[in-house]
Amino acid sequence: MTDQWILIVGLTIGTYLIRIGGYLLGAKLPATGSWARAFAVLPGCLISALLAVIVVQGSVTEWVAASIALVIAILTRSLALTMCAGIIAVWILRAYL
Amino acid sequence: MTATQQQQRLSPQAEFRSGFRDITPLAFGAAIYGAAFGLLAAQAAMNGLQTGIMGMFVFAGSSQIIATERLVAGAGSLAALVAGIALNLRILLMTASLRDELVGRPLWQIMLGVHLTSDENWALMHATRAKGRTVGYWYLVGGGACLLFVWTMATVFGVTFAKILPAPQAIGMDFAFTAAFIAILRNLWKDVGDLLPWIISISCAGSLTLFAPIEPSWALAFGGVAGAFVAGVIPHD
Repeated sequence: MTDQWILIVGLTIGTYLIRIGGYLLGAKLPATGSWARAFAVLPGCLISALLAVIVVQGSVTEWVAASIALVIAILTRSLALTMCAGIIAVWILRAYL
Repeated sequence: MTATQQQQRLSPQAEFRSGFRDITPLAFGAAIYGAAFGLLAAQAAMNGLQTGIMGMFVFAGSSQIIATERLVAGAGSLAALVAGIALNLRILLMTASLRDELVGRPLWQIMLGVHLTSDENWALMHATRAKGRTVGYWYLVGGGACLLFVWTMATVFGVTFAKILPAPQAIGMDFAFTAAFIAILRNLWKDVGDLLPWIISISCAGSLTLFAPIEPSWALAFGGVAGAFVAGVIPHD
């Protein structure tokens, strides 16, 4: 088997085991109390963490563009408008900085 | 029971279509990233068939990119595999948090639902719900089906036309998902009770990325868990 096929088959199996493992884990945990509160805030926490990782690895360009996107997001709550604002901001900043 | 929960639920078909439609701006981002992954796959000497099979069955963009980049860098297939799988550990947390959507469903729906869970449609489902709409499993699956189709097509397109496509950085497109997640986070905001867990997640993930000798994907998972842990131990009315 070539390296490419080893990677494709291995990543398929490994990723699917993680997906189904998460479901089995979640199904075993209690539906109220501390666990429920933790899982309720988990989406926002993971996305906050993801953005923190991206932003600290970026440069001033990404920080300014992210700030502009955040202002648009707060004002409009629109996914499409926020994406447009961020992409245009980063594009212009890279051209002129 | 809140007013939101008393709303009329959409039929599964209508919810699927709604999820499929609402994910469109993110699918546009996935198309750009898919084409970029195709360029990388071409460098890793993968053909269109291999790229398409990988996109459809792995369906986890960032791990496909990391693993294939490792292969191109000459790290060997095992090291590439470990890098890709490590990046996917956050999916464990995502599918674990889908308990209310998945428990009690037929096995085929559980198996389909976990495969179609990606950062984008999982986060969009939570954000749409936080805005007050009653959406769940079929909304997630509708968004996932759209993303799977667009992602797979775009990766095959990218690997096939690798020689004539521009790099996404050249047109600002690498920022598409960062901006998308900013919008999703804004929509996830419910009340001031979110503030402390989010600040803890941001501080942990940011400082670990900067100062700890670990992969950023571990910093991400640790930061997310730290914020959720604090929300779990602090009683909140």
